[in-house]
Amino acid sequence: MIIPVRCFTCGKVVGSAYPEYARRVSMGESPEKVLDEIGLERYCCRRMIISHADLIKEVLPLG
Amino acid sequence: MEIETIEMGEKKARFVIRDTSPAMANALRRALVNKVPKMAIDTVEFHLGSMRDEEGKEYESKTPLFDEIIAHRLGLLPVPTDLSLYTYKDKCVCGGEGCPNCTIIYSLVKSGPCTVLSSDMVPLGDPNLAICDPDIPILELGDGQSVMIYAHAVLGTAENHAKWQAASGVGYKYMPVITVKSSKRAQEIADSCPRGVFTVSASGDLGVEKPLDCMLCDSCVEVDGGESVEVVGDETSFVFSFETDGSLSAETMILKACEVISEGAKAFSESVDAL
Repeated sequence: MIIPVRCFTCGKVVGSAYPEYARRVSMGESPEKVLDEIGLERYCCRRMIISHADLIKEVLPLG
Repeated sequence: MEIETIEMGEKKARFVIRDTSPAMANALRRALVNKVPKMAIDTVEFHLGSMRDEEGKEYESKTPLFDEIIAHRLGLLPVPTDLSLYTYKDKCVCGGEGCPNCTIIYSLVKSGPCTVLSSDMVPLGDPNLAICDPDIPILELGDGQSVMIYAHAVLGTAENHAKWQAASGVGYKYMPVITVKSSKRAQEIADSCPRGVFTVSASGDLGVEKPLDCMLCDSCVEVDGGESVEVVGDETSFVFSFETDGSLSAETMILKACEVISEGAKAFSESVDAL
């Protein structure tokens, strides 16, 4: 739906990383490199970003 | 107990504690996770009805996310906290009504189409109280949709809700003690380490370059059954690391956690004396 504010497992703030990740990966950068540079070290935080399906735009008209 | 700092940033700390026990290291971990107070949004008011902007365009206060989901997301935002300024709401001079000593009020008024970010939360009063991370998406608004929210942040601890937990990834490990006994299979052993702890010099000697990165996995010992290297964890020293969400600095958190532990110990000893 919309990117969670924090990592479910450790509680690190991950929400702000998603827009940057999505923009850079869509421009062809490697997801691994982008996650490293954003500073997401643990695999719990990394899965929050890579497994996110951004579907908020789909439900926008239903508000 | 002796403390040696390896890294002490605004949001990240890594240090070694020596001459101590697992119980002390775990007490510090638990205090950092559970006992250090911080501010977090606790009460959210949603104002309903329609709004008109300067051009006369009408917006209705509706959103694609449920109000309770928005309130939950607001609760998780990192609110900057100065522990010397704020007290718990129920122990405050205002008697729990809410005043500048115990509450920070944020307003959020926004009309779509747009993404509402944490930087759109406007603190009433001091502009330094803006949310620590300005780029967190809170919700998305479509055409004709709007939100009008007042949010109240209060002091609390993670014993009550994880939104009051300032530290993340709090952990420690035994201090690795790596002894090189022979350099016969140096390259093989250096390659077996997933953390790149070892180096091989030009003359073929096996050296330990980054002992603190060792995670005691024993991959290097398994190469030849411990004939070349020996790895043990020192049970009196700990490599400790944690991060904060930005609401408190790492240094403040350690000092506050130590204060909480010593207060707890003092209270316990007093109750034992009273028996």
